[in-house]
Amino acid sequence: MSVGDFYNYFTSKDVLAKELIIYISEYLGKNIQKINESGLSTDKKIYEIVSMYFNMATEKPEMIEYFLRVYLSNREVFGDCCEGMICVSSFITEMMLFFDDGVESDELENQDFFSAFGLFMGYLGGMVFLFGEKILPEPLEEYKESISLNIYNALKKR
Amino acid sequence: MRSKKDKKPTILWFQGVTCNGNTHSFFNLTNLEQLLNHFEILYHPSQQSTLTFDAITDCKEEADIFIFEGAYDPSMKRNDVLISDILEYYAKHAKYIIGAGSCASFGGIFKASAPKRNSGLIFNEEKHYGPLLAYSQKVINLSGCPMHPEWMGYTLRMIANNQEIEVDELHRPIELYSNLAHHGCARNEYFEWKVDADNFGEKEGCLFYKQGCRAPMTHASCNKILWNEVSSKTRAGTPCFGCTEPGFPRLDFFTTKTNMSIPADVPLGISKRSYLTLSAIAKTFHIKRLEGKLIDYKKTH
Amino acid sequence: MITKKLIDRIEGEASIYFDKNGDKVKFSTIAFPHFRGMESILKGKNALDALVITPRVCGICGHAHLMAAVRAIEDAYKNAEHKIKLNDKIETIREFTLIMEMIQNHFKWIYLTIIPQLSKLAISSKTQTPLKGAFAASIATKAIATFAGQWPHSSYMVPGGITCDPTNIDTLKVQSYLNELIGFFEKESLDISLEKFLSFKSCKEFEGLEGDIFDIEKNLFKTEMHNKGFSYDRFIVLGAHQFTKPSKLKKTRPFPINAKYVSTIDSYSPKEHSYAKNAQYKNNFYEVGPLARTMAINLPIIKNMHRRFKDSAYSRVMSRIFELAYLLKYSKTLLKSLDISEDSFVKSVNISKISTQGIGVVEAPRGPLMHAVSLENGIIKSYKIVTPTQYNIGSSTEKNPTPAQKAMIGVSQEEALFIFRTFDVCSVCTTH
Repeated sequence: MSVGDFYNYFTSKDVLAKELIIYISEYLGKNIQKINESGLSTDKKIYEIVSMYFNMATEKPEMIEYFLRVYLSNREVFGDCCEGMICVSSFITEMMLFFDDGVESDELENQDFFSAFGLFMGYLGGMVFLFGEKILPEPLEEYKESISLNIYNALKKR
Repeated sequence: MRSKKDKKPTILWFQGVTCNGNTHSFFNLTNLEQLLNHFEILYHPSQQSTLTFDAITDCKEEADIFIFEGAYDPSMKRNDVLISDILEYYAKHAKYIIGAGSCASFGGIFKASAPKRNSGLIFNEEKHYGPLLAYSQKVINLSGCPMHPEWMGYTLRMIANNQEIEVDELHRPIELYSNLAHHGCARNEYFEWKVDADNFGEKEGCLFYKQGCRAPMTHASCNKILWNEVSSKTRAGTPCFGCTEPGFPRLDFFTTKTNMSIPADVPLGISKRSYLTLSAIAKTFHIKRLEGKLIDYKKTH
Repeated sequence: MITKKLIDRIEGEASIYFDKNGDKVKFSTIAFPHFRGMESILKGKNALDALVITPRVCGICGHAHLMAAVRAIEDAYKNAEHKIKLNDKIETIREFTLIMEMIQNHFKWIYLTIIPQLSKLAISSKTQTPLKGAFAASIATKAIATFAGQWPHSSYMVPGGITCDPTNIDTLKVQSYLNELIGFFEKESLDISLEKFLSFKSCKEFEGLEGDIFDIEKNLFKTEMHNKGFSYDRFIVLGAHQFTKPSKLKKTRPFPINAKYVSTIDSYSPKEHSYAKNAQYKNNFYEVGPLARTMAINLPIIKNMHRRFKDSAYSRVMSRIFELAYLLKYSKTLLKSLDISEDSFVKSVNISKISTQGIGVVEAPRGPLMHAVSLENGIIKSYKIVTPTQYNIGSSTEKNPTPAQKAMIGVSQEEALFIFRTFDVCSVCTTH
């Protein structure tokens, strides 16, 4: 498909960007929802989320790339059509539910949402960035266990 | 000789473990005198009554409407008579039994006096339990701490008019308890757009996120028919404490229980997923009008 | 021989055991049989929960409990070096709603208790209108609810201020409720203007007047209540307010006073266990309530009443009625002084930072109400409540009777029962 064809479906770069980010957010959101509803214990859920995220980074690198590099670092691309975090709401909601369940079941320490969210997503984002820069010596999946354990140990109930 | 038809229905208002709050709430009812003219008061703890307290505890008279205020304590005696015996007697002969207030309905605050012993008339919090279980079909619960006077006014007027009072699964009249305390709160717009109140004493901001307001989870008509005809807790900037629900009293009244900043309880009947999706979006907007003062007085303090 | 008399219609019940000489009371003991354990319910809870739970000690004076609780917590803040400086608006609105609760209480007591009981004693056949008291009370509580959200059981006072932020709409409405209430009192109870009533300097000026209040006055004379019901003739006022003056009074002589000298002891009630504890000041019994409060501010008519009739049942009843009138006028002045542009709330540190003790004292309708709280990281370690009826209507020995016991000596049982009620008994508060 040529670049020109692309613009037959999307009226502008902004709209294209917005649709992409919603697509990615919903993709992530749907997968995390399945994990949230799985009935697994919190430490196992963390593993599943990390695993899903790393799988996506390995199999569909362009999606994560786009999410991390373009969306998060070029917010102005989205202009007025993506106020606040409306475009990533599906993903954020599922992460909120994950944390809520974890505290309710007494497995996670109760703390500010952004402290916990920042730790989780910042960590994952950092690893995927290193992967993208081809700095990691091992394939991403080799790090799933240790990353999950670190996240769990950082957030678990003291 | 008076025919039975001319006789006014009789009321017997009796108390268990109580603070008298429901009695005093009832005194605030508009047109109280007019309402009471439809009834004969056999006994009331503060009003003129046909019978003395001694006569009441003798358990020889019958009352059409037996109103019980306060929690039930099986070991409690009044005038040297066990209230369990008094309750059993009047319940058997009454046409209607009314639990006035949350203590009589579910145990309420005075269940906390003896949590393993005290209860309401037919409920112990939400569990079916209590001295008058055998007469459940006659029981109407007017929960609230205290109950609103108009709830008792409604119930008595319906009875005087021979109209049937439909109740919910907790025996509360559905016409009174189908609204949530949230309906009619003057801070609704702040709830819609998730603008939290930062402090007490301000006209602005929703009290749900930090100040522990239970209104979206509480069945009550407080913001619909107003208290003392003029106001309500939330209209005076106080969070709703959920006093009409079986779980009252809870703990940490003035704070919202959160799990990682996420409200542990969300509005009744709404899934957490739906609620969080909506609020997460709303919370990221910054609406100038709602973030500023409601009334911008020109003069400075 | 000791006869037992059950008293109801006192926000609960009590039993008086009369020991009589012929038909005159030699001595009596009083038992309050019910107990709810409010102090232990509060243990282990967050301090702010006291603002919701303590009003449930009592349905008619719950608002006074709310204010005592908030003062106790604010005192704990002060002792933790985080003193909260309240402004005039906060103090004025809190005071106003407290006074309105006192007013509704006195209206109910006059019409639901005193008129029926006195009429029985005086064998008066005049038609009674008890619901007048309820109606007047409902106007007063409308005024409270405009600021406090509702009455009974508001929790609108929080450490640092109040939760409401009224506009002129609210204050003007409250002014009109107050005017309506004064108009009602003048028309239905006094039959003369409030100003005229407040201008009286001597009981003689009551003569020849009609109206429910003056009927009470006439019946008090008819039943010799100006010569009966004498007690210790010593009083205390503990709550800090503008409408009275904290002080200890021996007859009319004032002395300074300090809440730290209040103590409680078990009551003496050999015939039946009583859950009420007797409250004392410096290990002595003192009378509290409207007579004490009006004596403390030297109101001319109260001085005159006391000069002629000491602390008789007459003085006790008429001073409460006069306090009602006095507070109606006072609350008008208070409302005028309100500046709504001030802040409703003064922010301070989170309650979890407070690990000290605090005492809150207010004048409740029947006398001083004290809440003493001990906090650890904002959690209640202990909570102690002392209510006004504990000072007036404790039960002690014949050698050292409480004010009510002393007042009932030497009269007939019928008269004693009336004198008992002139203290305005609140059974639920007494035992809490």
